[in-house]
Parts: sequence; structure tokens; C-alpha cells
Amino acid sequence: MTAPVIAPTEVTEEDQAVDLDRPWKVIVWDDPVNLMSYVTFVFRRLFGYSREKATRLMMEVHTTGKAVVATGTREKSELDVFRLHEHGLWATMEHDS
Amino acid sequence: MNPSFRRRFRNHKGLVVVALPSEESKALGEFMGQLRDMLVDGTDPGLRRLKPPARPDDPESEDDYRRMIDDDLQQARLDAIDTVESGLGGAALDGEGVAAWMQSLNCLRLVLGERFEVEGINPDDGSSDSPMIDLYHWLAWLLEQLVDAAMPSLDD
Repeated sequence: MTAPVIAPTEVTEEDQAVDLDRPWKVIVWDDPVNLMSYVTFVFRRLFGYSREKATRLMMEVHTTGKAVVATGTREKSELDVFRLHEHGLWATMEHDS
Repeated sequence: MNPSFRRRFRNHKGLVVVALPSEESKALGEFMGQLRDMLVDGTDPGLRRLKPPARPDDPESEDDYRRMIDDDLQQARLDAIDTVESGLGGAALDGEGVAAWMQSLNCLRLVLGERFEVEGINPDDGSSDSPMIDLYHWLAWLLEQLVDAAMPSLDD
């Protein structure tokens, strides 16, 4: 992602936990085109995340190359991926086996 | 292009007001037309970036997924371009309108970005200069402003 540098916010364990009862993960991958502010906006708009959580996930994508942005059923994950693709983000889904 | 500092997008009572100078409105209209032609034609290599794999781990599921969503994705993009075109002369955008503008501006940027990557150009390192790179940065400038204008509506 490209953009002005923003200080990373603290990452808490609670937000990174993946619910094992809902076995699909939606992953967003870093790319050189999407703007950091736009990615944060999309996370907030699609998933209803707070500014802090959306910014944290965006920074995780930017610094580590990817982040799990949502978990859920297969159907929900397919819809999430569709909406992320619609917004031009590079998203995949995988079974959390 | 030498955009002045006047804001192209601003938040007014929860809606995002579009106010593009006429020359920018005209230019964006032309680029949107080109983007539509490109999407309909479907052969430009830059389009590859608009359809990233959803299931890279599983080719069969990927094929299923593509069959299921490609038409919807294409239609959503064409509808979004229509929304931008109808608001070029001025508009007050709700959440859906904002999304359509963001997606379309970003879509064009992604196609350009994909071309730069194929050609080995880094548009952000300042070493190359071309109208396409100017366009790429202008789109980013517009998109940043649109995000700034729309963000307060998410806090409501």
C-alpha cells in the first residue's frame, strides 16, 4: 500500500483471535496500489469496525503482508470476498482447518 | 494536471458533495468512458488485477467462485461508472454513491498500477514521468479527498 506513514497502533490478542466454530477466514493481502486510508475506510464500511480496529488491520496488512479481516461461514466469507474485490482489494478465503 | 487546493469532495450533513472544476470533470468523464470500454472489451492485461483469485489454494473452488461472481462483479463496476458519470457535474452522495465513486476511481488506478508493474515502472519513486503516472497520482489525490470527506459519516 502507498500512503503517508501512520504510527502503528497497539495490537491486542482479543482482536486477533479467530473463532474456531466458524471455520472460514477472509484474508486481505498487501499490494502496491491501494491507498492506506482507502483500505482503512473499506474495512470500516464493510465490517463496521471502529477506526482503531480498521487502522490496526490495515497496518497489519501493510507491515506483515496480510491480515485475517473476517471469519465466518463459507457463504458469508464468499460475500465478504466479493465485496472486497468490488472495492479493488486483494482478498482470498481459506478453510481454517 | 495542476489541481488547486479547493476541495473536490466535502461532507455536508452526512452526504458527500462533489464539486469538480469543469476541466477535471470533463477529463474524469473521458477516463470513465475508457474504463467502461476496457471492462466491456475484457482483453486489457491491466484488468487482471480487478479479478484476483479468491481461492488460490483450490483451483476447482476458484472456478466455481468465478462462475458465481464474475458477472455480478462486472455489473457492479459498470453500475458504479454510471453513478460517477451522472454526478460529474455535481452531486450529493450517500453511502452507496460514495462507494461507487471510490470503486471507480480505485478501479482505474488498479488498471494503471497493473500496467506499471508489467512495464517495470515504479510510479512512486519519482524516477519516471508520463501522463499515465500523473493520472495515477491525480486519482490517488481525489480518492484521498473522498475518503477524508466520507469518513465522518462512518462515525455516526
